Amino acid sequence: MPLIELKDVSKLYGFGDATSVALDEVSLTIEKGECIAVMGPSGSGKSTLMNMIGLLDHPTHGDYHFGGKRVSRLSTNRRAKIRRDQIGFIFQSFNLLGRLTVLENASLPLIYKGHSTHSRHMKARAMLERVGLHDRCYYYPRQLSGGQMQCVAIARALVNEPKVIIADEPTGNLDTESSRLVMELLSEIHKAGNTIVFVTHNPELTRYATRVVYMQDGMIKHDEKTKLGQVGAYVHSIMYSLPQTTADDDLAGVSALMKARGESEALPPARKVTKKKTKSPRRSIKRKAKK
Amino acid sequence: MRAFRKGYLRVALQSIRMARTRSFMTMLGIIIGIVSVVVIVAVSEGIKQQVGNQVSRYGKDVILVRPTAAGEVAGVGLSAAGSPFAAADMTMIKQVQGVLTAVPIATIQGSVKGDKTVDSPLVIATAPELETVLNQKIDYGGFFTAADAGRAAVLGSDMVAKMYTDDAPLGQNFTFRGHDFMVSGVYKPFLATAFSLEANYNNAVFIPYDVAQSMLGTPPAIQEVFVKVAPGKDVQKVATQVHEKLVQAHGGTDDVVTIISGSKSLAKNPTLSLLTRMIVITALVALIVGGVGIMNMMLVSVTERIHEIGLRKAVGATNKQILRQFMTEAAVLCGMGAVLGFVIALASIGCMAVFTTLEPVIIWPVAIGMPFVAFATGVLFGTIPALKAARMDPIEALRHE
Repeated sequence: MPLIELKDVSKLYGFGDATSVALDEVSLTIEKGECIAVMGPSGSGKSTLMNMIGLLDHPTHGDYHFGGKRVSRLSTNRRAKIRRDQIGFIFQSFNLLGRLTVLENASLPLIYKGHSTHSRHMKARAMLERVGLHDRCYYYPRQLSGGQMQCVAIARALVNEPKVIIADEPTGNLDTESSRLVMELLSEIHKAGNTIVFVTHNPELTRYATRVVYMQDGMIKHDEKTKLGQVGAYVHSIMYSLPQTTADDDLAGVSALMKARGESEALPPARKVTKKKTKSPRRSIKRKAKK
Repeated sequence: MRAFRKGYLRVALQSIRMARTRSFMTMLGIIIGIVSVVVIVAVSEGIKQQVGNQVSRYGKDVILVRPTAAGEVAGVGLSAAGSPFAAADMTMIKQVQGVLTAVPIATIQGSVKGDKTVDSPLVIATAPELETVLNQKIDYGGFFTAADAGRAAVLGSDMVAKMYTDDAPLGQNFTFRGHDFMVSGVYKPFLATAFSLEANYNNAVFIPYDVAQSMLGTPPAIQEVFVKVAPGKDVQKVATQVHEKLVQAHGGTDDVVTIISGSKSLAKNPTLSLLTRMIVITALVALIVGGVGIMNMMLVSVTERIHEIGLRKAVGATNKQILRQFMTEAAVLCGMGAVLGFVIALASIGCMAVFTTLEPVIIWPVAIGMPFVAFATGVLFGTIPALKAARMDPIEALRHE
């Protein structure tokens, strides 16, 4: 049984003529233990997908099964409880509460579970130890570096022992060194058996993923399995092969950008091809699961 | 206690501490509401008792017996009409079960001559037990006793200046109707009786009834009798019995009234109570304004913390939990305001009692009830912003910065 199963999930905003499509019939199946990197240009629906998976949002159409349970039509409170018990969030802007100490920040999700202060702090302390910040328990977030803040956020995401960790651009606000620190940490967590879904703009970071999903215009354009330590092939082809202009193009006044546009407009047939490609590995996973 | 355990209280205290000035300003609304209501009620009650309370000069277990239709004369104030009591009535009253003592009050005409002459003083012939009936202390000296065979007299405080050049005329003599008396004591000033028809005892000279009787040759006519009820007896019952006995003795004509001092203690002065009511209503409006202040403050607090609310919801807080958090905050704010208001109200009442001539009386049901009303108001108004916070969409809230 897959941990996460989205079936033709759409998310629409607005009404009538003003309707905009954030997610367009997205189907995605995530098994336990996967580490998925979601890529794509801004506005492609990555964040909406994250919110959907993280049960912050509910789909306009389509079905969502989380842990075998249909959650697409749950009430706000039920969804809050699933978030509380089974999902950990990591945000680009850390989202630590400045008025609380590191320890209190890390133990925040447990407040809503009704733990006693003591057990909350014990667990939070254990998690802070795991991210290497146990000596900063009584610091305030403003006294930490960006990387450290994100580590606290990771501790907070881990403290409720979630089934899946959702990270929306966890390294978006960090420098290269801190990014590495944070990604190494996430990768460790993944190796310990957690399921992680993260959004990134940096193709290098797909090295930490076992699967790369590339999104565009609210649809999944490409979905491939990669080996740990390798950049996804498709991502590599997109991100590392810039379109080049020839002397003829220059004469015609066609810039590299226009050329790239021209290519993307000719994408629909290409997408069909990729869809076929993506389906086969997923089927094989399903088969494995059935076995 | 649940709020403690779940850390709501700490979060509430934290956020109040973060916005110290704003929180205090908000509390001020509640504080002013409480203080104004409690103080105004206390002061007006004090004034009522000072001005309108005719009977407070007597003890609580005292019954006043007067002839019916006693037209009271201002200034002198004692009954001029109606049939005065006879000496026989006195002995009969004393025999009624539950009566501790009965004190006669008889006014005698004549001028008093001390160092200076006073032409028409209020000379009252009475019994030594008057001291136990009146709710007033002797400033210096002592009341005349039964053992004082001599002609001892007690003065009201204003008489001292009228009769003597000396400030403390203790032991000095004066002449009344050709008889010599000696001042044995002086009363402390009685409460101002500005609007009262009661006799002004500050202008009185008290002499023993027995002495007056032998002086005049006949027993002086008794205009009023103070009956002190024995401890533990039902005052109402004794009053009824006294009344019945007197009617019986007077051949069935109902020509006496009995007034129980306690029952008349809260004089119903319509102007004063209307004024009090008006002021209290104004103060209640102030309280509601305070409540709106709390609402305003909470709304600002919610708006300021939209992002935080978003995060709390993302990590699993339910609507109810967010609601509870903000309700706790409003409750803490109001609770602090209520306690502060209570303390400040009591303090200002205390200051008034000490530094002004007002004698405010703390009405405890109001003083204690008011902070609770204020608390309820604040929490009620705090609900609206709390609901707003609870219903926020987590994604929208998280996006808000």
